[in-house]
Formats: sequence, C-alpha cells, structure tokens
Amino acid sequence: MTAAPRTATRVVLVLCWLALLALAGLWLGRSLHMEEDLRRFLPTPRTPAQVLLVDELGEGPGSRLLLLAISGATPQALAARSQALRAALAEQPAIAVIANGDDGGLDAVPPHLRPYRYLLSATLDTQPLDAAYLHAELQQRLQDLGSPAADLVEPLLPSDPTLETLRLAEAWQPADAPQQRHGVWFDRAGERALLMVQTHAAGFDGAAQGGAISTIEAAFAAGVQPADTARLEISGPGAFAVAIRARTEAEMRWIGTADTIGLLLLLALAYRRWSTPLLGALPLASGGLAGLGAVALLFDGVHGITVAFGFTLIGVAQDYPIHFFSHLRPGMAPRASVRALWPTLATGVAATCIAYATFLLSGVEGLQQLAVLTMVGLAVAAGSTRWLLPSLVTPARHDPAHSPRLARLWRMAERLPRPRAALAVVALLAAAVAAFSPGPFWENDLSRLTPVPTADLERDARLRAELGAPDVRYLVTVAGADADAALQASERLLPVLQRLRRDGVLDGFDLAARYLPAAATQRARQARLPDDVSLRHALQAALADTPFRDDVFAPFLDDVAAARALPPLGPDDLAGTPLELAVGGLLLRAPDQATALVSLSGLHDPQALEAALAPHGAQLLDLKQASESLVAQWRSRLLGALALAALLLAGVVWLALRARQRVLRVLVPMALATVLIVAVLRACGVELNLFHLVSLILAAGLGLDYALFFEHAGDDRDAQLRTLHAVIVCSLTTLLVFSLLALSSIPVLRAIGSTVAMGVAFNFVLALLVARAPAVERAA
Amino acid sequence: MLRQPLRLQGQYRRQADGSLVRQVDSPYRETTTLTAGDAVIERDGRAPRRIALAKVPELAAVQAGFGALLAGDRELLQRTYTVQVQGSRTSWTLQLVPRAPRLAAALERIDLHGRGAELRCVESHPAKGHAQRTLMAGAAAAAAGVEDPSALATLCRDASAAQ
Repeated sequence: MTAAPRTATRVVLVLCWLALLALAGLWLGRSLHMEEDLRRFLPTPRTPAQVLLVDELGEGPGSRLLLLAISGATPQALAARSQALRAALAEQPAIAVIANGDDGGLDAVPPHLRPYRYLLSATLDTQPLDAAYLHAELQQRLQDLGSPAADLVEPLLPSDPTLETLRLAEAWQPADAPQQRHGVWFDRAGERALLMVQTHAAGFDGAAQGGAISTIEAAFAAGVQPADTARLEISGPGAFAVAIRARTEAEMRWIGTADTIGLLLLLALAYRRWSTPLLGALPLASGGLAGLGAVALLFDGVHGITVAFGFTLIGVAQDYPIHFFSHLRPGMAPRASVRALWPTLATGVAATCIAYATFLLSGVEGLQQLAVLTMVGLAVAAGSTRWLLPSLVTPARHDPAHSPRLARLWRMAERLPRPRAALAVVALLAAAVAAFSPGPFWENDLSRLTPVPTADLERDARLRAELGAPDVRYLVTVAGADADAALQASERLLPVLQRLRRDGVLDGFDLAARYLPAAATQRARQARLPDDVSLRHALQAALADTPFRDDVFAPFLDDVAAARALPPLGPDDLAGTPLELAVGGLLLRAPDQATALVSLSGLHDPQALEAALAPHGAQLLDLKQASESLVAQWRSRLLGALALAALLLAGVVWLALRARQRVLRVLVPMALATVLIVAVLRACGVELNLFHLVSLILAAGLGLDYALFFEHAGDDRDAQLRTLHAVIVCSLTTLLVFSLLALSSIPVLRAIGSTVAMGVAFNFVLALLVARAPAVERAA
Repeated sequence: MLRQPLRLQGQYRRQADGSLVRQVDSPYRETTTLTAGDAVIERDGRAPRRIALAKVPELAAVQAGFGALLAGDRELLQRTYTVQVQGSRTSWTLQLVPRAPRLAAALERIDLHGRGAELRCVESHPAKGHAQRTLMAGAAAAAAGVEDPSALATLCRDASAAQ
C-alpha cells in the first residue's frame, strides 16, 4: 500500500469534502420541501372519518381558530383595545376573519345580498307579510323614529319597513356569542374583552401560524397607549403548535450544544488527536445529506417527523468511523486497517439496509421516505468511511491494543461468566413483564408526545366556552350529491340539534345552512312572498292609522317584487363576501360529492348526539379517534415490515457467517436487548408509541454492529482489545447523546433518549457476554 | 316620511343608581334606561332589548351630555364635548360639540337652552336630518296646545323671550 498522503494534501482534501457538504446543504435548503402537514406522514385514509381527517386536518373550522383575550384594564379601555385590534387585523392578509362582536350592524349584509333578505331570513317561515304584521312593524318603526337613534333607522325604512336586513345580520351572529359590553364581546365576569381570529393557514402549519401570531401581537403592541396596562392572551391549536415548537427548539439547542462539547471531548480523549472529532463527523454528515437529497429527488416533500425518525436511525453511522479509528495502529497503513474491517462493517450495513428496504413495501409514504433516507444515508456513511476517510487520517501513533488500562478492562471482561441458561431465564422473565404489565401497550395519541401545559389547556377550554367556539375534536357531517343536497340534508338536522341544545346535550352548533339555506327552502320562502297587488293592499291597510305618509314605501314594494323573481342564492354567489368563509368552512365541495359540516361547541354527551342524528343520515366524527386509528394503522404496517426485516436480517447474517453458533452469538444479544428494553419501559408504565418503536430499531442496529465486531475479533487478544476500545467509544458517545435526550422535558425526546440509552447499555453488556469468543493469549 | 313631525310626551328621571331613564308616555309607551355602558329599551308587549351604548353613538351622546349634566359629571361632559356658553344668567345656551369623530359623524351638536337654574330645552342637531327638540319644565308646559313646528322651535330656543 502507498504511504499516507502528506499533511497539506490531507487538509486540502478535508476542505474539499467540507465544501461539498456545504454545497449539498445549500442545495437541500432550497429544494427540499419540509412539511408539517400530518397528511404527508400518515397512511392512506380508509374510513370516512379518516378521509375527512386527512382532507380537513388542520383546515377544519375549529383548528384554524385563535382565541384572544384582552385583560388588565378598565372595561372601556379593553373595549377600545379590542376595537383597535380588530381594525388593524382586518387589513392583514394572514387573517381570514377577525370578530370581536362589533359586526352585528348592517355592514354584515353586503348590499348585493340585501334583495335576498326575505329568502335568507327565517321570518317568512312563520310569519306572512300581511296587513296585521306590517302594521305591528310600522308601530315599532314609529317608536324607533321617536328614539335618539332615529337617524340610524330612517334611511332604511322606505325599502325595509320590517328591518329584515338587521334581523338577518343578527341571525348571522355566532350561534351563542358571549355577552356584549361597550359594543364588544366580554367574558361573563366582564374582565376580559374576547376576540376570535380565523387564520388562512392551516392549524398544523407551525410556521404560518407563528407568522399569524406575531402579526396579532405586533398589531396589539402598536395600539399601546401611555400607561396602558392591558395584556393580550392568545390560545388555540395554532398558538399551541407555536409554543411547543419554540420549547422543542430551545431544548434541542441546549441538548445539541452539550452533545457537541461532550462528543468532541470524548473523541479527543479516546484518540488523542484534535482532528479525530472533525473527521469522525464527516461520514455521518455526508450520509445524512445524501439521504435527504435522495428523498428530495424521489418524493415531493418530506414530513418533519420522517426526518426526525431518519436522523435517529442513521445515528448508527456515527459508529463506523469509530470502529475504523480504533483499529488504526502504527506500522499499518490506514487503508489496510479499513480493508480488514470492511467485511464486518459491510455485513452490518448490508443487513440493516436490507431490513429497512422492507419499509418500501409498507404502502405508507412516510415509511418509504424513511427507508430511502436511512438506506442511502447508511450506505454513503459506510462508503465514505471505507474509501474516503483512510486518505485523510495520519498513521496512528498508538495501538489501543497496547494500552495498559484497556488491558486491565479486558482481563476483567475475560473473567466474566458466559451465561446461557441464565440468559434464557432473563429473556423469559422480560417477555412476561412486557406482555403482562398492566396498562395499554400502545399510545396512539401523537399529540400526547408534544403536550400542551395543563394551565394553557384550561385557559383554552375557558375561552372556548366563553366564546362558544367550535370543538376541535367532534364534528357532525352529512353528505349530499352536490352542495345544495348537502345543505338540504343539514337543514333537516336543525330541529334535532335545537332539541338537543335545549336538553343540554350540547351548548351550541353552527352549520352552513344557517347562512345559506338550501335552494328549496329559499324557493318556499319566495312562494310565501305576496304578489304585488296583495302587498299593496296589505300595506295600504297597515298604513291607515299611522302617521307614515302613504308614498314612502314604494322601494319596499319594488324589493319584494324583485325578491319574488330572484334565482336562489348559491355558494358561488357568496364569493368576496364575509359569508364566503363561514359557508366555505362548513360546506366541503368535491366534484362528485359535497359534505355539510356541523361544528359543535360544548358537547356534553357524544353518544346521545350520535344516536339522535344517525336516523337523519348524519355522522358524528371523532377526529381524535380517527387520527389515532391512522397512527395504529401506521404502526401495524411498520410492525409487519419489521417482522419481514428481522427475517431478512437473520438471513444476511447467516450468509456472511455461515455457522449456526456464530450467527446465534451475533443475533441473541440484540434480540434479548430489545425484549429487555420493552420490559423495562412497560414495567415503568410507559405506553409505547411510534418513537419508541423507531428507537428500538436503532438500538437493535447498534447491537448488531457491537456483536458483529466482537464476533469478528475472533479469539485474537489484540483484535479483541481494539474492538473493545471501539465498542466502548461507540457506546459512550451514543450513550452521551441519548441520555441527554432522555433528560428532556418533552415526551417525544424523552421516549427516543431513554429507549436508545437503555439499548446501548444492554447491547454493550450482552455483546460482551455473548458475542465475544474466549480469547487465546498469544505471544505478542 | 311622516305626515307631521313626531311629538312625544314623557319624562326624564335620574335613578338612585345613577342611571338615566327616558320614559315616553304618548303617543306610545316606551322606557329607555341608560346606564354606564348599556341602554335597556322596554316597549309594550316586547321583551326588553339591551343595546351597548358604544354601538349607538346617538344614545351614548344622550348619556354623556344630558345625563352628565344632570349628574353634575363635568369631567365626562368635557371629555365628550367641547362646551361653549353663550347668553346671560337669565337666558343661556350651552353648546356641546362632540369631540370623537365617530360621534361627530352622527351628531353635529347639542344645544341646551335654559333660564337661571332651569334647563328648558335640549335641541339635538344630527349630522343629517332634522333637529330633535326636547322641551322641559316650563317650556314643556308652555308648549301644550302649540302645534306649529316653528313656534315650538322658537319656544325651545328663545326660552327667555317666551316669557
């Protein structure tokens, strides 16, 4: 073998490699489309509830809602801040709707919809436009004219003597709006001004929600007066997403910093060279970037959770350069060292990659992305350790095999027993604990992994109840062949829903038909409008003994005549009006079907509601249950793929080692370690989730490598010492990284950290007890 | 709109809790109770309606003008209006011009006419439309039987001259 390259050449090569990584990183930053949309992550939906969840997840009327409360000042001052905030946010493009209660006036009904007032308002359902009714209404108008607000009412009267327009505006107010003080919504105690904001962005879109929240906070801050004590609180799914994101990022920052310092120290201490930590990081960095690049090329976008899983799984590649460094020794070219190591390393990488390939068959895009990311990542990391790294390292000055301290450790390990029956007993016990521990085995609620603080949840529930805001979990759906059929079907639910509200089953509901009645209903109201002659007579009779002049109501006669001839208003006619959003959010239109949603607030008895609505063709959807069933589906696909992967992995190891005894020595430690981890988690009352599962796979991959290398070392003392050195460094670095994660306050990080940290410990001990052959001391 | 200007009779009362009651007795019965933030309107045969004063600036103007005057709340009065006094002790006019643009858009000004300690007429000029006059005390008594609008306007304005 040729001598190692000179220092200058090595530095240039390292710089080239770093530059290449930087370029790849830049390219990825531009072309990789990171998604926070859970739809990218979950499997194809099957049940109607799942379909709706996946189509509507984060876009339902509930999840785009932010609840705002302003407190800490006099009611007048709070009302003024509420008005100022509403005015400022009404012009913001990120905000779809802002409501503070001050919209019940005429402005709520756009002028071009006013001719439709008799078709949209329910008045005519119970009340004909006859002389008696008109007379009673005119008496009321007279009193209006005698009030200080006369000038407000007077211009409306000629065309609308029954003030139907105002009645419509009132009917469009939220179903159970909070009380009004000083013209805006207040909570029951009168201490907080309340507002509701609907964002354009979906609830799961953390970045866009973050933008909307900063917009709101900036608008509020801009309205601060001197000596202003008012405070703004924001709640809702989007606010939670943003808070959790910030908390996770903050924790990841300190964990990442601590990890980096710890790793640098550990590697520098183990190899006594400052270049080692840098060189050791290159294969993993290359693998990670290559894996992400492959995903970017093959798929449209990648979900954040897939990336998190992927980087957890390729963490095993950090061990590749460590094995190489520990096997460097004076008098042997780095290339020769790596070539001796390669069959073992290649066996580990090939077995792992083939195992991950089974994910490709799972039919879940998230898992397929995970497979591509890990396979490409591991292959590139192993390849760069094999072919690139040897050109960069300087020949070793020490051989770990000659370290006296390591030799002492090795002699202690030598004296360890080689249990067989005992291990079988431990395995059985662990399996029993795992199987029979009380409590559910799986946790399907992904939101439990990134929990919202209880205080925030309580505040959200309080605000939601005060504002009568829709529930984010339950939703009623009713389908129809087209939008109008769906509207009509949902109208039939109205009497049932009203009865349920009276019975206390729920506090409130909202549906598109409240704003836009079905065409048939509009036609029925149209048919009840009197013809021109009858109306003229009725008006004449009504005016008889009033002080109103006879000729002022000609515009009213014209409006009613026009309303009789209007085609019914449809969803498309609402474009550009404030109703477009209200109706659009509650009426989902697909080319071949439409679904009307009924949003619910304060649902106390889901079963009663479901039973009452089922005969009318409506369905109660539990979005939480639907998302949990999707997660369970994801997991069962993953478990299926893993079963196949385990078989393939055993097959690859068999092909490489070709002896039953050797194969068992490699596979038993990782299998036993997996059972032990599950047993410990279950005994601690932990419900397993997807992150535990992925961490178990990583732990098994680490265990496979430890065992393969111990097994590969054979009975040669020096080779065993170098392997011991490598595996100690590998396990210490991995243990450091994942123990810190286990300390996190965020359950998802804790799940990954604790599982892998345990896996490292169990696999290390078991590899030492099982995989290592008894050494034969040879004359040095 | 009406064949002739609407003419109401009734009374204004201040209640112990500080609220101002505007009670119409004829030609119909209606009671409006103005408190700090709300107006409650009660009409025969109808459920009482509660309206936020902030939503109806015209009602708020009554509360902050006439109501403040009766309550002796000079601070509220001057916060809401620029106040100008004209005339003599025996025949004075208090002119209230709204400060807030939102109120000014609906209400041009309120003229209060009085004589000595007696407030005799409140003349409210909306931004659009005709003035509303509320004749009180001696002026209300003098108006009994007077139908001509311009005579009533004179009664209101020339509170002292009418004597």
